[in-house]
Amino acid sequence: MARVFVSSVIPATTDQVWDRIRDFNGLANWHPGMRESRIEDGRPADQVGCVRNFKLQSGETIRERLLGLSDFDNSCTYAILESPMPVTSYRATLSLLPVTLGNRCFAQWSAEFECAPNDLGAVTKRLSLDVFQSGFDALKRHFGG
Amino acid sequence: MTRIVQSTVLPAPPEDVWNIIRDFNGHETWHPAVATSQIERGYLSDMVGCVRRFQLQDGAELREQLLALSDADHSFTYCLLETPIPLFNYIAHVRLLPVTDGNGTFWEWQAQFDVPEEQLDRMMTLVGDQIIQAGFQAVHTQLEADGPTNTPPHYAAQMQE
Repeated sequence: MARVFVSSVIPATTDQVWDRIRDFNGLANWHPGMRESRIEDGRPADQVGCVRNFKLQSGETIRERLLGLSDFDNSCTYAILESPMPVTSYRATLSLLPVTLGNRCFAQWSAEFECAPNDLGAVTKRLSLDVFQSGFDALKRHFGG
Repeated sequence: MTRIVQSTVLPAPPEDVWNIIRDFNGHETWHPAVATSQIERGYLSDMVGCVRRFQLQDGAELREQLLALSDADHSFTYCLLETPIPLFNYIAHVRLLPVTDGNGTFWEWQAQFDVPEEQLDRMMTLVGDQIIQAGFQAVHTQLEADGPTNTPPHYAAQMQE
């Protein structure tokens, strides 16, 4: 099992950041690497179990199932059903915690997955930089950080 | 039940912060409110279940028991056994999480307790400001005095067997 963990500090309150990232169908609205998202079977985007089907800027399709969504913990957990990455058993969690000193927000994004050793370097680089850190950079820019 | 959760971000990796705060008997060296501290019965200070007896700068004596300690999570939990202060059923939890974007640390410190209604404001200030905030500030100052860290950044990816 491999694990990727990336975390950052966003210059906005937890509520503000959660408002921006909560929508499971809204990744393309705030993440520069994604576009054209829809929820399959016309289900609501906050129905646990729903599947989002979206495209990367490269045109590749990813399908992910919502496994858990918590407005209490400000966290979202999902699994990959289909993706261009050579991974299996992929599960990721994006969550927020308040930084009470200074009205900021601690954001962490982690994933666990199986992957052939030869692919690990490329996969972890892509996930940690192009997906997770790139998303945090976009949030920091959005909130003026 | 009253609950206080406070958090801050420090400009050093969790290992450096953990080195300062891990020792359950070491708060006399870093926390400004603590004058002296001893572990009872000759126990080791990282033995879960050990009790620290310590004296504040004003002479008040308290006893606290270590309920949990994790080097894996950089966290510990303790409760108050005896205190001259009207704090009851006091349990506190400290945890550190890495901020990979900048090689820093997210430090969260929470406490829950019961307190007589008329003492609530005073105890909230005591716990929130004099214990938690003062602790954050002291470690922040110590890290700055120690200078830049030699601890390498957290690797974003880790392979686990």
